[in-house]
Amino acid sequence: MSIRFLQLAWRNLWRNYRRTFITMAAIAFGYAMLMFVACLMAGLRWQMIENGTRLLLSQIEVHDPGYYPNRPIQKTIGGQNGTDVAALLSAITADPRVEAAAPRVYGYGMVSAGDRSYGVELLGIDPARERRVTALHSQIVKGTYLSEGMPKSVAMGDKLASTIRIRVGSEIVVLTQAADGSMGNDLYTVGGIFHTGLDDMDRSLVVMPVSSLQDLLNMPHGRIHEVGIKLYDIAGATAVAADLAARLGKTPAVRVMAWPELAPDLADYVQFNRGVTFVLFFIFFLVAVIGIMNTMLMAVFERTRELGMLMALGMRPAQVIGLIVAEAAGLVCASLILGGAIGAPLLWYLQAHGLDLGGKTGGVVTIAGVVVGRLWYGRQDFPVYAQAALGLSITALLSALYPAWRAAHFRPTEAMRKV
Amino acid sequence: MYWKKNFVVLCVAITILAASPPARTDDDQSARQTVERIAHLLVAKSSIATLTMQISNDNGKHDLSMKVWSAGGEDVLLRILTPPIEANTAVLKIGNDVWYYLPKTNRTVKVPSAMTMNTWMGSDFTVDDLVKESFLTRDYTISNSFHGDRGDVAVDEYTLTPKSDAAVVYGKIVLQVRQDNQMPAWQRYYDEDGKLVRELTFSDYKIMGGRLIPTRLLMRPTDKAGAQTTIVYDDITFDATITDGTFAVNNLPR
Amino acid sequence: MSGFLLIARISWRNLWRNPRGTLLTALALGLGLALLLISLGLLDGGHEQTVADGVRLGPGDVVIQAKGYQDSGTQDLLLAAPVVTSVEEFLQTPPTKAILRGMSARLLATGLLSSATNASSVAIVGVIPQAERSVSLVPERIIEGTYLSSNKAAGVVIGVELARKLGVKVGSKVVLMTQVVRASAAADKAGTGGEMKSTLLRVTGIFRTGLQAFDAGVIDLPLSVAQALLGVEDHQVTQIALVLEREGDSQMLADQLRERLSGQPVEVLTWRESMPMLAQILHLDHSFSYVMNVVVLTMVGLGILNTILMRVLERRYEFGVCAALGLRPLQFAAMIIGESLALTSISLTLGLVLGLGINHYFATTGLDFRWIFGHSLPPALVFDPILYSRLSPSRITSSVSVVFIMATLISLYPAFKAAQTELPSSLKVL
Repeated sequence: MSIRFLQLAWRNLWRNYRRTFITMAAIAFGYAMLMFVACLMAGLRWQMIENGTRLLLSQIEVHDPGYYPNRPIQKTIGGQNGTDVAALLSAITADPRVEAAAPRVYGYGMVSAGDRSYGVELLGIDPARERRVTALHSQIVKGTYLSEGMPKSVAMGDKLASTIRIRVGSEIVVLTQAADGSMGNDLYTVGGIFHTGLDDMDRSLVVMPVSSLQDLLNMPHGRIHEVGIKLYDIAGATAVAADLAARLGKTPAVRVMAWPELAPDLADYVQFNRGVTFVLFFIFFLVAVIGIMNTMLMAVFERTRELGMLMALGMRPAQVIGLIVAEAAGLVCASLILGGAIGAPLLWYLQAHGLDLGGKTGGVVTIAGVVVGRLWYGRQDFPVYAQAALGLSITALLSALYPAWRAAHFRPTEAMRKV
Repeated sequence: MYWKKNFVVLCVAITILAASPPARTDDDQSARQTVERIAHLLVAKSSIATLTMQISNDNGKHDLSMKVWSAGGEDVLLRILTPPIEANTAVLKIGNDVWYYLPKTNRTVKVPSAMTMNTWMGSDFTVDDLVKESFLTRDYTISNSFHGDRGDVAVDEYTLTPKSDAAVVYGKIVLQVRQDNQMPAWQRYYDEDGKLVRELTFSDYKIMGGRLIPTRLLMRPTDKAGAQTTIVYDDITFDATITDGTFAVNNLPR
Repeated sequence: MSGFLLIARISWRNLWRNPRGTLLTALALGLGLALLLISLGLLDGGHEQTVADGVRLGPGDVVIQAKGYQDSGTQDLLLAAPVVTSVEEFLQTPPTKAILRGMSARLLATGLLSSATNASSVAIVGVIPQAERSVSLVPERIIEGTYLSSNKAAGVVIGVELARKLGVKVGSKVVLMTQVVRASAAADKAGTGGEMKSTLLRVTGIFRTGLQAFDAGVIDLPLSVAQALLGVEDHQVTQIALVLEREGDSQMLADQLRERLSGQPVEVLTWRESMPMLAQILHLDHSFSYVMNVVVLTMVGLGILNTILMRVLERRYEFGVCAALGLRPLQFAAMIIGESLALTSISLTLGLVLGLGINHYFATTGLDFRWIFGHSLPPALVFDPILYSRLSPSRITSSVSVVFIMATLISLYPAFKAAQTELPSSLKVL
């Protein structure tokens, strides 16, 4: 292909700028829309995972190898002697992909106020660290969040609070089976009441500072059950978990699990969602492709006369086809760039600000144990963007090729007669 | 709760009997009588007992001593004596209701019945055993399955097979009774596939409260290595007079 | 008027002077509509299925229970026998019977299920097996053994997680212990009720729903066995769960039942009230669909604009000739609009045929996800891997109307441009 040829192709495009623009618009908008849809869908998936791992379940969790699935309180990290918690936490946060890590202790027991008692799950957290890993602190609806400075102040779910008829400031007795088998019990004050929207948590969870729970359980402060981890980018959770497992090694012996292993329900739902969005995306892709195909076909068919003339002037059929293809290629590139330019601000807006679903959802929603909010955020899905671009390009080129091929095989005089 | 487990052991232990020697016979009826008597060995209209309990599992050992008042099988008061840190902790069962007294916080709490069924209470022993009297003779058909020597001890063994609609989880229970003093030696619980699930061993036969009883009971579940509970009776009085008001919630704090 | 008709005929013939182009365009637009219909059908079908599944793992489309049960959930709150009879009678009447797909009377309680090696607290559901089959999903999710067969035999069906925890398999013995119901305040005072009772059961089947909590906590047993255990009289149950042929009838049936049972201490709830979470999931799905529809419509609209603009552009010479022959701007506009209306009609027809056809396939055979994923699907999907399409007539009419109106409006701009055809520049040949 000589430079002349390419120049001719380029000039051809701009001779009939209206036609070129219309074709470009078709491709550009099609592409922009596809990116928009891909962004939204990726966002929904990401959001579900994010939300599922922001309350109790974390993106990655570290436990003693014997802890799952039955979760006996004796299986603390490092066994009976516990471990150097601070060192463990630093080892974890040393990984640049980890945003924060927080220690947790669990127990089971009974909470009693007056003559009302209820079976509960007890959770001990480090309030400052936990803030950066989960969003429990933002679910407090009455009273205050926990603080290490108030060891006897606990938080509980709103449904639990109403079942045993307590308010902020009430005194409660918490009873549990301590690590040594004795009956651990103590008095606490209800400092805060939370509402998560998840029945299990609101109905039967009591949260207190980790050292308070360790004291209640007669456990030394080096014994914890779990480290909850939050990453900067949840997409790589499984990989990071594997790396952490390798790095943390044997002292103490741990098992590191990423959220798909911890919450198979959620993983299932995400898969399902992926399936649905794949089908939908495919449909959109078809719509876009049809539009482009149609446009390109028409654009070239309309030039049958012109092509006939070119051949009458001596251009060989192969060169005619080559010319069309070169034009189409140039057109497609320019269109995709245009599409990207149109789409980029839209995509940025989606990721930064989200789509407000407003009154349509009427509040928070729970799917498979996950709370989903009103704002629907997008998320860039570059692999899909690239694939879409490729798909559209191929379609456009093929669509240009067909009529060009046909035109090239007419006899020049016939071609010129087409009006 | 550990002492729930042990109340269980108590009740289970209460299924040991025999003050009188059984006649050696193939007759079901006689076997039934033997088992019945063993089941009531530690049972009376009322009793007061002082005992120690040691719980071992892979977390270590936990030793307690306690005093238990019981009347009519319905009302039970259990008070911990040692260690000092747990002393005065009490459990009161009246009919279907259960209360705990917690000396550390000086509070009495009522335990919701749903809680008495929850597994967090410890799954070593089925809570089922706690609240349901084990009617061994009612729920099982009993036959004398062995009469002779095991090693150098002459024993009788009785196989208890659950009746078809009895609400018991076991496939069978085998009870070994020594021929010389008619004391139970062990009781083994099997699941339906014939696998041994747990074993209760009796020893230290002494005369207490006017009866010959095994004063050391050891319960061991077979699927948890190192887990076992031992009860040793220091003293027991049968048909004791229990002061009125013992089984009352407001009597709990002391 | 005749001028109008003439233009109409010209418009039509214009279309067919270039049959290939016209057909191609019509096909393109038609496909756009078809795809819109298909995606709507799949989305609607998807969330109808979510609702249907959710409803069938819960208290059904409509549920009747004792007043206050929804809030407290205490097993002592039961439906009085006369209420149950009244409801059953009502449900037998022909108009109601026609819309009813299944009805199940259930006794709900909590208890402790023990095996030889372990014990776990469970949610007890006492059912009449035949009735439950038409209402609940559990009978369809049995992975080992069989569902309950008779209302008498002491069988129980448990979830796979529970089976694992208790170390039992099909045929194993388990003992269920629960608290006898305190049927009334008087009985409570008298000391009856509240004691613990146990019964022997045999595991007849193990199910897997994929929902962790369900598989670890829920057990189904025959109603009569549950009633005997809980000390409840024969006709008393906790709730009557109804599943309808069409979810849309829920509200109406609920209202009818409320009226019939007014004065009784009962509550009649639709699934939106008994499972507010599910209702909210639906809201979210609706929003999702809404956004998707807007996107598809936009793309279709752009396609239409594109096409018509092209047609106008490419025919400048022809328009030049028309103008030279005396066609006035307004007539130009009318001609273009006429063409586009005709084209749209053809497209819509094609699209409807194609769309409804494919939709019918998806509605009957469904879209099988396994075909998309191959082996990477997890084994225990909560959701049915086959998605069935559901397209309601109102959806169809609204889609068609929107596309039609959109096409018409879009054609106004090109019509306007055509009307501005200038002589003599448009008569240039190349």
